[in-house]
Amino acid sequence: MTTVNVSNKQKILIVDDSELNRAILKDILNDQFLIEEAENGKEALLLLDKSCKDADLILLDIVMPHMDGFAFMRRLRRKRRQNSVPVIMISAENMPSAVVQAFDLGVSDFISRPFDPEIVRRRVLNTIMLYAKQKQLLRMVLEQVYEKEQQSGLMVSMLSHIVEFRNGESGPHILHIQKITDLFLKYLPQITDKYPLSREESALIGLASALHDIGKIAIPGDILNKPGRLTDEEYKTMKTHTVAGAQILKQLDKIHQQAKLTQVSYQICRWHHERWDGKGYPDGLKGDDIPLSAQIVALADVYDALTSQRVYKPAFSHEKAVQMITEGQCGAFNPLLLECLVQMEAVLKKELQHSSVRKTGRRERNLIAAHILNKMNVESQRSEK
Amino acid sequence: MTLKECYDAFGGDYAEVTARLRNEERVIKFIGMFLKDESFANLEKALKENNLPEAFRAAHTLKGICGNLSFTRLHRSSHGLTELLRGAKFSAEIPLLFDVVKKDYELAKENIQNLLRSM
Repeated sequence: MTTVNVSNKQKILIVDDSELNRAILKDILNDQFLIEEAENGKEALLLLDKSCKDADLILLDIVMPHMDGFAFMRRLRRKRRQNSVPVIMISAENMPSAVVQAFDLGVSDFISRPFDPEIVRRRVLNTIMLYAKQKQLLRMVLEQVYEKEQQSGLMVSMLSHIVEFRNGESGPHILHIQKITDLFLKYLPQITDKYPLSREESALIGLASALHDIGKIAIPGDILNKPGRLTDEEYKTMKTHTVAGAQILKQLDKIHQQAKLTQVSYQICRWHHERWDGKGYPDGLKGDDIPLSAQIVALADVYDALTSQRVYKPAFSHEKAVQMITEGQCGAFNPLLLECLVQMEAVLKKELQHSSVRKTGRRERNLIAAHILNKMNVESQRSEK
Repeated sequence: MTLKECYDAFGGDYAEVTARLRNEERVIKFIGMFLKDESFANLEKALKENNLPEAFRAAHTLKGICGNLSFTRLHRSSHGLTELLRGAKFSAEIPLLFDVVKKDYELAKENIQNLLRSM
């Protein structure tokens, strides 16, 4: 029996082998809800794939032929995300062990037979409202996460464009750095497990990469935009943009200094001109003494400079750029990152063609929400014990 | 015959069922459905075939229905039989208690039929 849910009524699936029992429940709930019925767990599972995909609540008997209530719960748990539909168990089986087992299997409530219809109605309403609220909260969390990401992305983007504007640099440079950095963070774990990064840390590095050159704000304009070759003295000044950027961040409020974004940005600003062989600046750090974030941005910076057109040079192809980098013409880099760069060929070419704004994808947001939910579940289970 | 007389005649709790289901109309509708319910027939059949798990399920369902309808006497006997059948191990008490359930069931059925006929 298929019902099209045209009204706003919520849908309840009643699972009981006795028609009389179903009729009593239906009699109570018929006015307020759309009712579907199944005679046993097996039938209920089938309905959940069809007309009851959108069920808001399941009322479940325990003792039934073919598949009983407990077996149904186990199947439901495996089949769906556990939280997607609440289940109230109704049974004459009121031994404490059965009730506890029901809760262990994830039911929201347990009602003993014989029951008072009015009380059943109220408990059904409560459970449905609670779940509706949870769904709403989840949606709000998602929106907030999205909003927050958008906002901080926007702020960082404004800031980095101020710097770019003063540098007179080509527009998409920072966007490219972010994209290349993001790609390294995504593909590096496929090559090595040497740098375990959480999703959060990766996201921060991607965001902070846009700030790598903020120190250039402290460099005099005539040096910054000098058309010809810099003198040794000028070059020395130019190199101070690394320390200058780091100092700007160090002078932030204490609270802001503790933020992870500030810390990652500091690493990147200060050390994105270090070299794997220790011959870089400002500190001459060597190998993995250079934070991974700065290592990645350094490589991304060089790669983008090579593959982009400049007044003094044409845009090199990916192959040419990779060749120059791996031959050591443009610095010294972590061999694992170089390997990663080589393997990212196809995806790099594709991604850098479309200069779209870096966004938090729907998938990413859902992952974050799932993460938050998981945390909530773990905590509520903890408090049960 | 009134609904109360009917309940009294087969050992049901009229006060309880009307308090719970709120009105007589609803009670009459459901006890009418009780006549068509197959759990007793399933129980009898399963016992005849010595299918104890099935007998347990049927007795359990019967007990649940009797609880909802406040068929106190039949609820008591079917509850006892359900517990005997739990674990699906045969005992000599099972057929004895089944005879009681059968007697209680038939008494209820007969009185409900009388009531419905008289209405």
